[in-house]
Amino acid sequence: MEEEVEKAVFVYLRKKGFRLTEIALQEEQTRLSSDASSLSRSESDAAKYYDGYGKLRSWAYNSLDSYRHELLRVLYPVFIHCFMDLVAQGHMQEARTFFQTFREDHEMMHLRDLQKLEGILSPSHLEEMELARLWRQNKVKIRLCQYSYELLVQYLHKTQSLAMLGVINEHINFEVYPGQPASMSDDSEAVSLIGTSQDLAREINQKELHWGLLEDSVEERMEKTLSESDKTEVDGNKEADTEDNNKKKTDGNKHSTAVNNKKKKDKVVGATGKTIRSESSMVSVPPRVKPELTLPQFPPEVEQSILEDLRNRVQLNSLALPSVSFYTFLNTHNGLNCSTISHDGSLVAGGFSDSSVKIWDMAKIGQPGRASNPQGENGSMQGMHSLASDEAKRPYSLLQGHSGPVYSVSFSPFADFLLSSSSDNTIRLWSTRLNANLVSYKGHNFPVWDAQFSPMGHYFATASHDRTARLWSVERIQPLRVMAGHLSDVDCVQWHPNCNYIATGSSDKTVRLWDVQTGNCARLFIGHRSMVLSLAISPDGRFMASGDEDGTIMLWDLSTGRSVSPIIGHSSCVWTLAFSCEGTLLASGSADCMVKLWDITSSMKALKTDDSKSGPASRLRLLKALPTKSTPVYTLRFSRRNLLFAAGALSAGS
Amino acid sequence: MSIVPKETIEVIAQSIGIPNLSPDVALALAPDVEYRLREITQEAIKCMRHSKRTVLTADDVDSALNLRNIEPIYGFASSDPLKFKRAIGHKDLFYLDDREVDFKEVIDAPLPKAPLDTAVVTHWLAIEGVQPAIPENPPIEAIVAPPDGKKMDHGKDDSLPIDLKLPIKHVLSRELQMYFDKIGELILGRADTPLFKDALLSLAKDSGLHPLVPYFSYFIADEVSRNLNNLPILFALMRVVKSLLSNPHIHIEPYLHQMMPSIITCLVAKRVGHQISDNHWAIRDFASKIVASICRRYGHVYHNLQSRLTKTLIHAFLDPSKALTQHYGAIQGLSALGPSVVRLLILPNLETYMQLLDPEMQLDKQKNELKRKEAWRVYGSLLLAGGSCLYDRLRLFPGLLSPPDILPWKTNKKIALTNLPNNKRKASSRLTAHQPPTKKLAVDPTGTNSQFPSTDGPVTSSSSGSNPNHHHSHNSSNNNSSSTGNITNANANINNVSGSGAHGQRVAVSNVLRQAWKEDLDAGHLLSSLHGLFGEGIFSFIQPAEMHCFI
Repeated sequence: MEEEVEKAVFVYLRKKGFRLTEIALQEEQTRLSSDASSLSRSESDAAKYYDGYGKLRSWAYNSLDSYRHELLRVLYPVFIHCFMDLVAQGHMQEARTFFQTFREDHEMMHLRDLQKLEGILSPSHLEEMELARLWRQNKVKIRLCQYSYELLVQYLHKTQSLAMLGVINEHINFEVYPGQPASMSDDSEAVSLIGTSQDLAREINQKELHWGLLEDSVEERMEKTLSESDKTEVDGNKEADTEDNNKKKTDGNKHSTAVNNKKKKDKVVGATGKTIRSESSMVSVPPRVKPELTLPQFPPEVEQSILEDLRNRVQLNSLALPSVSFYTFLNTHNGLNCSTISHDGSLVAGGFSDSSVKIWDMAKIGQPGRASNPQGENGSMQGMHSLASDEAKRPYSLLQGHSGPVYSVSFSPFADFLLSSSSDNTIRLWSTRLNANLVSYKGHNFPVWDAQFSPMGHYFATASHDRTARLWSVERIQPLRVMAGHLSDVDCVQWHPNCNYIATGSSDKTVRLWDVQTGNCARLFIGHRSMVLSLAISPDGRFMASGDEDGTIMLWDLSTGRSVSPIIGHSSCVWTLAFSCEGTLLASGSADCMVKLWDITSSMKALKTDDSKSGPASRLRLLKALPTKSTPVYTLRFSRRNLLFAAGALSAGS
Repeated sequence: MSIVPKETIEVIAQSIGIPNLSPDVALALAPDVEYRLREITQEAIKCMRHSKRTVLTADDVDSALNLRNIEPIYGFASSDPLKFKRAIGHKDLFYLDDREVDFKEVIDAPLPKAPLDTAVVTHWLAIEGVQPAIPENPPIEAIVAPPDGKKMDHGKDDSLPIDLKLPIKHVLSRELQMYFDKIGELILGRADTPLFKDALLSLAKDSGLHPLVPYFSYFIADEVSRNLNNLPILFALMRVVKSLLSNPHIHIEPYLHQMMPSIITCLVAKRVGHQISDNHWAIRDFASKIVASICRRYGHVYHNLQSRLTKTLIHAFLDPSKALTQHYGAIQGLSALGPSVVRLLILPNLETYMQLLDPEMQLDKQKNELKRKEAWRVYGSLLLAGGSCLYDRLRLFPGLLSPPDILPWKTNKKIALTNLPNNKRKASSRLTAHQPPTKKLAVDPTGTNSQFPSTDGPVTSSSSGSNPNHHHSHNSSNNNSSSTGNITNANANINNVSGSGAHGQRVAVSNVLRQAWKEDLDAGHLLSSLHGLFGEGIFSFIQPAEMHCFI
């Protein structure tokens, strides 16, 4: 009776063409039947996994060229799960040999994960390690084209490799799409396969993003005043600027038209709004958005100075490269963890591993007597007097208050405040005028890796080992928002120029963009292969650059969430990135003692020509590599006049 | 299975006071220990990254332990990365060089200088995209520094703009190293195989050997000084030198100063090889040829090369305390440098030297046969040197010996022969001229003869006609010398003239030609004096063509 039903079911399935279901059913049957002999099975299991995987691997490597890369994608999850199965069943020895034998195949793409997983040797580790848990609990989703999928199914069917079949069935979801296999280069998905992130990313990246600049910003006002009052005088100067902008924006518009209808509408609205507003120029500037946070007003004299700077801005492009002023920290004894430079370059701050923060005022450094005074006599002085004279003798102001290494420092837009974050879980706000600590913000439970003032001041964002990023206002000691979602440490944080979003880079190799109003994740960028160390968002708010531990720099289109161009930019960690004020250049600084300048405009143009979806995105063009003298570059900052400041500690000998 | 062996676990257990841990426990703990280690390392790397460093330090591990709420490990605080030393005899075993510090010493020691305070200096890394050439920026053609761990001490950090000259590390490819080793092996062991010939050929022709030249020059210098007693090796080394010199792709000049001493050693060393059994003369001859070729090739580049060389050699030659072998080498070396050197340096000293040499050659005065043989060798080389010099002069001035008319010289033969004893010359020279022919012949075939063909090929064939020639040249020399008023020559002249009355015509001719021969006078001297010293042996150096015209 039962057999008959079974047969009928099979016939039915075959008739309907539900081949997968058929296989699954068959397999389920075999598994049930083999369960009976499970005891004997476990003995030879290890060998089965080893053989099965080895065969699958050689099959995949020998498959047709055009489908190979898709089939190879299957190998990695199978490999990981085979390994974990072996561990879970207690075959430690076999698991180790298995891992070592096949590890090489995946090292290029997944080195970091492999290093983590390698340590797993007992079932309890599987439970304990988060990465392993994620793997076990979530199904990997792999997109295969119809034919690749059929090939795979046929292979599994033919070889009757139950171990492999089991692993694939249990842990991999195939998403089959008709037609030709996707091109090789479209492998960003292959990089991060863990669980839901694929879907999540797709889902998240569907959301609308208002990447435009703020309404009523100083720059806008300046433009307005310019166009209204003395058009004739500054025409030439402005023309170039707006023309440049025009080009870029139209490119941008076209591009997103192809990709995202919604976006397009949004932008067109913005654009039309703009055309109405500024009758002199056409669609010149990025769309305007309303601030979601109540933003502070700049005092008029500050605004004046900004306007002054904007008028004196040097135009930078691939032909006119910036001047770079380099601040070298000497005698740091390996203690400098971070540094920052104020917008005008007059103040330089460093955070040290001895918990101190030091601020140098460049204007005072030139003065004789102060800097040249030998220190060391201080010991004889006493009391208040000594404090005062100490102060006078030191060429910098010393800020002490933290109780652990300081991991980041950040100036407020006008350098009247300094933020520092430390491994003592606190963030401190210092006044540069008083040289005193004003507030200590407690909230993070683990070391705070990064803290950044918002472009308008008043607000700041922090990133911590506790896997959250938090949003704060200077006047409250509790965070305003907690952004949770990263799967590992949040290593760096950066504000979007319109202050409505913050971007975070993490050790889980992703970059996320968060909406400050809702605290939700607005974009998820997958593609890095190691820890993300630095972020920068272009001044027009459209592009984001991120640099990682391996020296790769990726450029992202915020509106679509897609990678524009990945580059192997450096040979070592990219510590810092900065966009020039017009967004034409990207500067990157790295542990390999280089400052590199990249051409953004040309790669955007290339982006327009190939139709966004097809082919590998064009590479960023390297304009100039500026080597330093054994000084890793910690910080880069373009001043408002487009002078590039860089800072780093001279590393003696190493 | 775990990278932590269970023995390690046992050792650790013992160190914390668990004397007998059961092996099962250790086995079970090992994987977990490994896992924890990896975990901590991973966190430590995170801390390292956030400290913007690329080298892991003990501090990072402490921070990582802090993150995990574990008590840090004390006693390893150091702002620098720890320096591990390789344990001798083990490939992968490293240890910390942790010296025991005497507490008292530390207390008594004066306080160390306070470390310099952190400072910030600024410079222009680039001006409008162009890097200015200032000391703060790396040199334009930045040489990648070899990471040889040369630590600039912190005291120097404040004076940033020091230009550090980095030693350029020179990397020999594996292939070249193997090549070098192989050649060295061949030289020292199997110099007589055909393989060595191929090797020499390769040394003389291959283009990629330049990186090896310093190694070769060092090798040669080293081996020559070590193997002075081993003739085959010396020979092999000299042949390598010759090959290297002839290689058109090698720029050997910078290494000449290293090679020259070894070559000169081979030339004028007191003892080369076994004095008796080995043919050390051959290596001296060979070395002299190499020296000469070096002088010819590089003499114009290094102006003092030849002068220094000749100085060395002439010192060896003129020092009576030196052994005859050394004299021989010096003479060979000098004569290889060319006739003019011989004329300028050997010939003026020839007479005095002959006085010295003479007793050595005589059977009754020098009983040691070996010494006597050596003396004859020296004599032969001197003869050769003088002869080749003469030959050169004669070749330069072919007109020297060609008077317009041909006279029956035969008549003079007797006179000339009888003249010789009458000449008021040094007894020694007479002796050399008369006594030794048999001896000389006995010696010649062994060694000197072999040199004759090599240096002056066409000469030997003329030896049969030496007798008539003798007169001929003698006469001509007399003609010349009469005009110079040289005493000895005048003597000969007188003898000659008085002895042969039929010479009136010839004398007249000589007067006619005096003007034309003026510049060739010394050639005339030469012959006469040489003849005086060597007797008729010297005539073999006169070109057959010229002889022909006198016959």
